[in-house]
Amino acid sequence: MGIEDSHVYTVAFNDIGAVVHRCETKPYKTEDKEKAGEWILTHQYVIDLATKEFSTVIPLTFDTIFKGDDETVQQWLREEYRQLKTMLERLEGKAEYGVQVFVENDFFEKAPEENEEIWKLKKEIENKPKGAAYLLQKKLERKLELERKVLADKYAKNLYNEIKKLVDDVKLDTTKKEVPEKWKGKQMILNLACLAHKDKIQNLGNMLGEVDEREGFAVRFTGPWPPYSFVGEIGRSKVRR
Amino acid sequence: MPIKIDEDNLKSGLLGLVVALVEIIQDVLEREAMRRMESGRLKDEEIDQLGKGLMELDAALEHIKKENNLDTIVRSVRADLDKLVEETIDIMANPERWEREMEKTEVRQ
Repeated sequence: MGIEDSHVYTVAFNDIGAVVHRCETKPYKTEDKEKAGEWILTHQYVIDLATKEFSTVIPLTFDTIFKGDDETVQQWLREEYRQLKTMLERLEGKAEYGVQVFVENDFFEKAPEENEEIWKLKKEIENKPKGAAYLLQKKLERKLELERKVLADKYAKNLYNEIKKLVDDVKLDTTKKEVPEKWKGKQMILNLACLAHKDKIQNLGNMLGEVDEREGFAVRFTGPWPPYSFVGEIGRSKVRR
Repeated sequence: MPIKIDEDNLKSGLLGLVVALVEIIQDVLEREAMRRMESGRLKDEEIDQLGKGLMELDAALEHIKKENNLDTIVRSVRADLDKLVEETIDIMANPERWEREMEKTEVRQ
């Protein structure tokens, strides 16, 4: 069932437990992308099974390895019991959902036209010799770019605040991501991981559905996922002890 | 960070790298030109001269890119460089996080 058909079992302490398998005490490493993908999928699969079996699960990242034996794991459970328990209570009945909002690249092209400064610049360009006009044109492009950013930011902030009200927790992902093929020609203005109770997710779905209908907008809504983004430092380190 | 150069066509790879670098210099020159234009210390003809020079540079670069089919490679080199700069700034801005990242890859005793 587990990675490379390893035997997956549980180590319990009080009313909590860890889902583990035995492996060497060094990080999993391979050049083979297919193999790596398979490992990750298996890791995911076991988490899904565990979620089905125990309902609330703290997903640790792939490659979280304890140096020692079952006793070491049990000791960790004992030491971190309070923290783990609090987290399990916080995650109960909840799942992670991914929300990405895209807008058409030309969505913000027209909006800044009303800006007086930009309007003036455009007039000026028409009346200048071509060398000077070139420089002013560059200046205009930079201004427009900035305006678009400000505008995209404003939209993103508004959406963020609206979404925040509908879910239990939100994590903002600021790393630049490639826009998937389906949304080519659009830019991502918001990338969120949301923690939401299964009963409340319909509200978020409805709200995002409305955003998706808006002219020039598109929303990607994925999940439910194991709440990876909401387990903090617990899932972070690789080989312990 | 490895800069990806198309090994099948080293010439276009190398030329792409050079063009990407010149484009970055062009960007700096244009910023500086705009700064001077706005300072009010230049005569109108001087501004026009400056603009013309930069315009010619731009036209020449576009021509080289088109002639040699370099658009894609130039864009990818610039994206790589952008990423490198972003990461470097990030390391300087968040040393603690990077320390943690490093720890993650080491085996803790």
